[in-house]
Amino acid sequence: MLALSGITVRFGDRQVLSGVDVTVAEGELLAVLGANGSGKSTLLRAAAGLVQVHGGGVTVDGRPRGPLDVALVFQQIHLVRRRSVLDNVCSGALGRLPLRSSLVPALFPRVVREEAMACLDRVGLADRAHDRAGSLSGGQQQRVAVARALCQRSRIVLADEPVSALDPSAAEQVLALLAELAHDERLAVLAVLHQPDLARRHADRIVGLADGRVVLDGAPATLGTGAVDALYPASSVPELEAVS
Amino acid sequence: MSTPTVTGGVRRLPVPARPAHPRRRVVGGIVTAVVVAAHVVAWTSTEVSFGALVEGWEGMADFLSEAIPPDLSWEVLGPSLDGALVTLWIGLLGTTLSVPLSLVLALLAARGTAPSGWVYQGARSLLSFLRAVPDVVFALIFVTAVGLGPFPGVLAIVCHNVGVMGKLWAEALEDADPGPPQALRSAGAGRIQVAAHALLPTVTPQFVGLLLYRFDVNVRSSLVLGLVGAGGIGFLINQSIQLFQFDEMLTHILVVLVLIVAVDQLSALVRRRLAPTT
Ligand SMILES: Nc1ncnc2c1ncn2[C@@H]1O[C@H](COP(=O)(O)OP(=O)(O)O)[C@@H](O)[C@H]1O
Ligand SMILES: [Mg+2]
Repeated sequence: MLALSGITVRFGDRQVLSGVDVTVAEGELLAVLGANGSGKSTLLRAAAGLVQVHGGGVTVDGRPRGPLDVALVFQQIHLVRRRSVLDNVCSGALGRLPLRSSLVPALFPRVVREEAMACLDRVGLADRAHDRAGSLSGGQQQRVAVARALCQRSRIVLADEPVSALDPSAAEQVLALLAELAHDERLAVLAVLHQPDLARRHADRIVGLADGRVVLDGAPATLGTGAVDALYPASSVPELEAVS
Repeated sequence: MSTPTVTGGVRRLPVPARPAHPRRRVVGGIVTAVVVAAHVVAWTSTEVSFGALVEGWEGMADFLSEAIPPDLSWEVLGPSLDGALVTLWIGLLGTTLSVPLSLVLALLAARGTAPSGWVYQGARSLLSFLRAVPDVVFALIFVTAVGLGPFPGVLAIVCHNVGVMGKLWAEALEDADPGPPQALRSAGAGRIQVAAHALLPTVTPQFVGLLLYRFDVNVRSSLVLGLVGAGGIGFLINQSIQLFQFDEMLTHILVVLVLIVAVDQLSALVRRRLAPTT
């Protein structure tokens, strides 16, 4: 469904991605792993059209990506904490609403609210619709953010470290949800993760990035632990060198 | 490097001489000279004179003996309370009526919501201009235009307050967390939708706090505006000075004191209540 081919991105004279090919199929949760600075976020931003690419292209079902084709989920969640959970989910639909029916939440049409309720139900939080978003736990907030992405009606969801700010059990829940949405709703989900074990448990496929190149691509079962561990060179561990 | 000496079990190391900075010393000397010179000029230009203060002491004593006790009869206190209320209403309306324009200019004068660099610069310049003209000057202009009374006071407060509050709000907008706006932009929301659904709800507590602070300040200003004929208790104070009714004046001043303290406490209380919910 989503195809990135030959993506090359440079910042100044530094090449951050060098001809990366990645595809995500409908109904698939793809995990992207790699050391800090290997270009994971840049790849995702290129897929979303948020950075300029110097080579290659992004297509959705064979056509150039349109502005509303992909929905994003962020590590820092980025909900409006003072608004209700339901209002936050509704705001996913802003891209297709004219200003006269979206200037303030009270103007959202009923069909949009009901669609948002269904999205909330999908992530298991329909009972919290009228609570302030900021009053929910981190894991619940990230699920609301996923519901907001669903309300955008995109068939593709891109998530940059969606569980890095969550405690382990909330992280499991959110990833299980993303996998379930991929499988049941036939979405194409691409998630940048930084814990290989989470990726192994939930992802259908893992892509490994090192220095802006794909060095690993396959189902978790076919990838040896050694191959995944090799993505994280010893030098990426914080060093405590004596200052001389 | 010298080696630490040990006396009584405590390690000590001599402090090395501080490196000399001849340039810094010269600059320091020049700055000091300029500041001192400015004060000497200011002292003579403003005709500061202890002699005048001592000679004026007698006049001051006369003034006080006439002012005390204040005239608390109802003929004075009644109009005084009415005047104080008018002053309060001038401050209130001036603050409230400046909200729409402040909001529009704040959005145009904040990076991130300004539609273009030109608009940003234009909105900033307009805000600076409105801020630079004191509200008393606006009041004098409007008194000439629409006549004596509270209405020119309201107009004057609106003009000056848009400049100040627009700037404060624009800064609050620029300091807001950029995350939620980024999220909505990526979902295809337009500029106005992003402001309405991500930015403004996030900064509401700051906006309300600044609004209350400005209300507090504007009530004080509207008092001064009365002195130049723009209605309210300031007008009464001016009148009683011109008629040498110093005991009436003291009554007015006491009423003002109560009003200002009450508004100050109220606005502080609401702002405190607001703070924890941010
Ligand atoms: N906007 C940018 N300008 C300059 N360099 C950038 C920018 N974004 C990312 N980089 C650089 O690109 C490299 C890859 O960054 P990133 O994609 O964020 O890595 P990851 O998410 O895998 O940790 C890093 O070296 C980073 O410093
Ligand atoms: Mg990253």
